[in-house]
Formats: sequence, C-alpha cells, structure tokens
Amino acid sequence: MADAHVVQTVDLHKNYQGTEALRGLTLHVPAGSIFGFLGRNGAGKTTTIKILLGMVRPSAGRATVFGLAADDPIASVEIRRRTAFVSDEKDLYDGMTVAEMIRFTAGFFPRWRTDLEQRYLRKFELPPDRKVKALSRGMRTKLALLLSLSRGAELLVLDEPTAGLDPAMTEEVLQALVGHAAGEGMTIFFSSHQIAEVEQIADAVAIIDRGRTVVSGALDDLRESFQRVQLVFDGEPPAAAFEAPGITRVRRSGRVLTVLSTAGAEPILDRARALHAVSMDVVPVTLKEIFLESVTTEE
Amino acid sequence: MLWYKSWRDTRWRFLVGLGVLSLSGATVVLVYPRVLALVPLVPSSDGGGELGRRIREIAQLSREFRGYIWAQWFHQNVRQEWTVVSALLGTGGLVAQGSTGALFTLSLPVSRNRLVAVRAAAGLIELLIVALTVALLLPIMAPAVGERYAIADAVAHAICMFAAGAVFFSLACLLSTSFDDPWRPLLIVVFAAAVAGACETVFRGLQPYSVFAVMSGDVYFRTGHLPWIGIAASAGVSAALLFVATVNLARRDF
Repeated sequence: MADAHVVQTVDLHKNYQGTEALRGLTLHVPAGSIFGFLGRNGAGKTTTIKILLGMVRPSAGRATVFGLAADDPIASVEIRRRTAFVSDEKDLYDGMTVAEMIRFTAGFFPRWRTDLEQRYLRKFELPPDRKVKALSRGMRTKLALLLSLSRGAELLVLDEPTAGLDPAMTEEVLQALVGHAAGEGMTIFFSSHQIAEVEQIADAVAIIDRGRTVVSGALDDLRESFQRVQLVFDGEPPAAAFEAPGITRVRRSGRVLTVLSTAGAEPILDRARALHAVSMDVVPVTLKEIFLESVTTEE
Repeated sequence: MLWYKSWRDTRWRFLVGLGVLSLSGATVVLVYPRVLALVPLVPSSDGGGELGRRIREIAQLSREFRGYIWAQWFHQNVRQEWTVVSALLGTGGLVAQGSTGALFTLSLPVSRNRLVAVRAAAGLIELLIVALTVALLLPIMAPAVGERYAIADAVAHAICMFAAGAVFFSLACLLSTSFDDPWRPLLIVVFAAAVAGACETVFRGLQPYSVFAVMSGDVYFRTGHLPWIGIAASAGVSAALLFVATVNLARRDF
C-alpha cells in the first residue's frame, strides 16, 4: 500500500491552543496522480500540508509520506529530500538573486536536474541577476516552481499555487504543472479553493471541511456517483418520497423537483417512474456543485 | 549552503558590530595622550566617596598604557558595547518567522537541530572574529600614540570577551526560537545584562563571579592568568542555552 499511496493520513487531528484545525482527517493520495485538495479558507488545508512536511506536529492520528512517518524528525528529513514544496506565500529569500536562489537550493538536492533548471529558466523568462524581492508575484511563483520542479522530487506539494495570479499567469502555471507531471511521472498534491483549476488539471480530489474529509476519490468517479435528476410532475411534486440515504438534496420549484444523489441516478428514476413523473432528466454535476454541496451540508 | 545563508542573514550585523567596536577601540587608544595629560590633575587625597575612589583608581591605572586600556576599554566600554553586539549577532535565526523564507528553509531536507547548530556555529565564529579583531587592533594602534601593547594580552582579553559574549549570544539565540521578531530578544538580553550589572554594583561580593568580570578580563589583568573557571562556566551556560534553543525549536509549530 505504501507504493500505491504516496500520502496517507488516518484520523489526523491538530489543535492550536483550543482551536481544532483538523478533526480526524483521512486522506489517500495515489502515486502518480494530480491530486486536488479542496476546501474553504480555514478548512485545514495548509495545516495538513505542514504536517506532511514536518513543520507542524499532529495532536493525534497518523500521517505518512512514502510510507515514512511525517512526525518523526529523521524520517521527515528523508520526506523533504524526496518532496518539493511551494508555499502559498511563495516564501523565498528576498535578499538573494534568482541565480543565487537556484544555486542555494540545488546544493541540498543531489538529484538536482540542471536540464530542467535551464529549461524552466528560459520558459519562465526569469532574470538570473534580479533580486527575489524585486520580482512580481507571478515571477516569484515561477521561481518557486522552478526550484521545486528541478529538485528531481517524487512528490510536489503546492499550497494555493495560483493565489494572486492573473488568469493568463494561472493558465501558464497550470500548464507547466501538467506538462511536468506527464513528463516526469511525479505525484502532484495541491491545495486550492479555486474549483475551476482543480477541475482543469486534477485526476483525483479530496474535499475537506472543518478539518475533516467530506468527499474523496477520482474525479471521474465522483462525477459518476454524484448525479442530479430533474423531474417534472403533473401536480405537486412528492418531495418527501425522495428523502433516502444517498440523496443529499431535494429541491422543489413549482412542478419541478431537483434531486442530488451520491448513489447514482437509477434508484431515483425508478422511484420517479413509480410516482408517474412526466419528465425525467439526468444532468451532469460539476465539481463546483459537489464542493458546495459537501461543504454546506456537513455539520 | 546553510552556512552561506547564515552568513548572509548576519553579515550586516557582524560588520556593524565590527565597525562600531573597532572605532570605539581606536578612539580609546588615540585619546590616550590627552588622558595622560589630565592624570596629574586628579587629586590624590581621599574624598568624593565611592565615585572619587574609582576616579583615582582609573587615574592611577592610566599612568601606564596597559592599565589605561584595561580601565577605559575592557572594564568600561566593552561591557556595554560587547554585550549589545553579542546579543545582536544572536538574534534572528534561519527559521525566525519574521524573516523571509522561513517556510522555504523548513522545507529543505535539513533537521531543525542542524539549523540551530549551523546558526549558532556561524554566529560564534563571527563573535570570535570580532573579539580578536577588536583586541588585536590595540597592539596595532598603540605605536600611533608612542605606546606598545602585547599581542598576548590582546589575545587573552579576546578569549575572555568571547567566552562572556557567548552567554549573551546564546541567550539571544534561545529567545529567537520563541519570538518572531529580532527586537524583543535583543531588548530582553540587554535588560537582563542591565539587571546583572546592577546586581554586581549593589552586591559587590558577587563581582568576581559576574559574567562581566570574565568579559573584562579582570583576573587576567591583575594576575596574568586566564580566568579558566569563569571561561568554563560561561561556556557551560552558553552550551546549556543553545541546547534549550534546539529543544525549543524542535517542538515548535510553524
């Protein structure tokens, strides 16, 4: 299982002086996947990432990366040797130039890829002699990505990688990530509250809310299991007849009843036929709808 | 590479400390002829209480260049300036949250123990360089006022300065693992030093055991022997403070 899942957390808890940031988070990130980690602001995404990288100690539960315990100081060094991280603040050394930053970082990674460093230096058009503090937000993000992608890492962890970027820059960063993942076969684990970008590049997602995983799985599987069925009846729609396990929402509007299900559409359609619905439509569900449904109904 | 980062983080404080202390030391040497001219004006009769006694003692010591340097420089100026410079070099840190790149540093494949060790070692080396440079400036500058100062004396005083300065440096290092900004550790260390200095003045019996007695090389000046017990005690306290800093950083969440 250690090979199948690069990152695993089981019943992970973290308390910050009485505030529960994580409340039993369980997560499985498949090897080789682009894994989107979704949640509202303050849901516990950054805390989870920091636990995985040994920056924060969990209060309870287990977190492993490459099968190594994230809270073990020695194992944590090995995890960081095989992992690249880009923080949401794109935290770099302001006083160094781009070239110094690259030279400094390369010194810690024996498998540093000079070919990738040169490629991304050209692709991102980064000025080697410019100080980090003089870089724009976008350039700073690109430098942080270059430093991560050139490490020869097996896992890339990104915390809100496109935060503060304009749409064009966001697209460029996402394309670079997808291209790199395809070429190098690495696992990408990235947190975001930008659903559109997760939907664009992720092949698996976890949605967390208030420190707990509420939805997790392959994106295609989620789309398949979450179904929205629109039913039209001759008279008053029998909303109560559709309240059942697996039905996450039933909404009535005139003669139209909209049912959102996590257990497929067939049981709903069978029930609707029995109740003589005059029209039945199964409508695709977007990740945004899944997200909104998951984070607003969980208590 | 951590050494390089540590040097980059502290180089300006190092250079400022080196510059200020060098300037102060050089000034003390260069004004010696004027001080020597004033010495006969100090009344030799008793009177003036404790202050009068101390002025007469300094005047007496200043009749010789070695005595003047000890009284004016190592016993007086160094106490304040060296304490501040030592604390200044100990503040901050490779992962101080107020500094840029703290999360980047923590994401590197380096243990927190090593972060503290490299930071402390780099700072202590800088401290030793400043102590030696400032002390060796005395034999270099002395001929400018027609005097001589032994290199052995300078090195001995540098060792004393370094040992005592390491205590304030390590205390600043420890405080920097708890505070996010460099100013609170600096202010706390300076305040602690002021309290220690006040205690030494009020309880004169404590003077021989004071960290300032080690810093000024009091025993060496009077006996010609290094205060090994004081140096060892300072090293022990410094090591203990750095150990606590390591433990503190290891258990901290970022």
